[in-house]
Amino acid sequence: MKRIIGLGFILMVFCVISAAALSLVYLLTKPTIDLYSKRTFENSLREVIPTADSFREINRVGMVFYQGMVSGTVTGAAFSLAPQGYSGKIEMLIGVDLNGKVSGIKILNQRETPGLGANVIKSNFLKQFIQKSLLDPIEPKKDIDAITGATITTRAVCRGVKSALDNYQMVRDKK
Amino acid sequence: MNFWKDFNQGLIKENPVLRLMIGLCPVLAVSNNATNALAMSVAVAFVLIGSNFVVALIRKIVPDEIRIPIFIIIISTFVTISDYVMQAYFQDLHHALGVFVPLIVVNCIILGRAEAFAYKNPVLNSVLDGVGMSIGFALALGSIGMIRELLGAGSVFGFQIFNPAVAATIMILPPGAFITIGFLMAALNKWENKVQ
Repeated sequence: MKRIIGLGFILMVFCVISAAALSLVYLLTKPTIDLYSKRTFENSLREVIPTADSFREINRVGMVFYQGMVSGTVTGAAFSLAPQGYSGKIEMLIGVDLNGKVSGIKILNQRETPGLGANVIKSNFLKQFIQKSLLDPIEPKKDIDAITGATITTRAVCRGVKSALDNYQMVRDKK
Repeated sequence: MNFWKDFNQGLIKENPVLRLMIGLCPVLAVSNNATNALAMSVAVAFVLIGSNFVVALIRKIVPDEIRIPIFIIIISTFVTISDYVMQAYFQDLHHALGVFVPLIVVNCIILGRAEAFAYKNPVLNSVLDGVGMSIGFALALGSIGMIRELLGAGSVFGFQIFNPAVAATIMILPPGAFITIGFLMAALNKWENKVQ
């Protein structure tokens, strides 16, 4: 019994030292990590709403989205969506201008097959969606060239873009 | 003292990936391009050298019965530190390596070296062993990454060398890792037979 308590005590000492070291590193790196992730997200917003220079988060009709503004005037909105891809959700940010057309699209996170579906991040594919509106079909084989060997991924992005445009209309109508 | 031998054996003779065949999980997962492979090697090197150093330092005060949990505490501390640091200063790499940084905890190279070497040897030898093993790991992982990226995506370190449309995509998918490792091991064996 005495032996077990002794061993437990030694183990505890190691845990305490380890916890102290980790808290120190956490405190040192936390500000940089937060700053960086905030800046990365703002850069993504800037990419999908190129006309805006400041952004604010809006929560309307149960939907969270981002408004892009130039000196107080709204120039577009950005929607964050995550349609189901081939392996996991494809997180994307889609900017819509005031005419209801796609002003930019950026993939934030994806786990598609390397070499096939992962090509979804390439600008050659994504730029096809720019200027699309709800009047366009936005479907592979119609107005979108699919990624070779990744039809499911392509369809997921099309779905995402369509729901962003739908969301935009909903937000605008309920204004 | 066998400083040179301790350092040397991880390079080729006991290369962790191509000879001991341990720690293959991250090898398969992150070696689909050269940049990821090298970043992973650096993270593993930090953890391995750090844990070898600390384990050798405390080896005389650690009771035999609880040495494994203590090794794991030490290793996971170093892994978490490298995870935070990567997240703060190398965001893109952290993004690319994803879950495989925290998974270094269960990489058997590290626990293996702590148990088989650092627990029985002085600090300096253990650090040298860690450095040697890390370089061996980096050499193996780096060459696998370069070969896979070249054949599978037509580039090396992100520089396009030929049109990716004619590249063999299978090479950057998991089977490509097994194929590459097999060929590298064969080449290493052939070379060693020749030397002897």
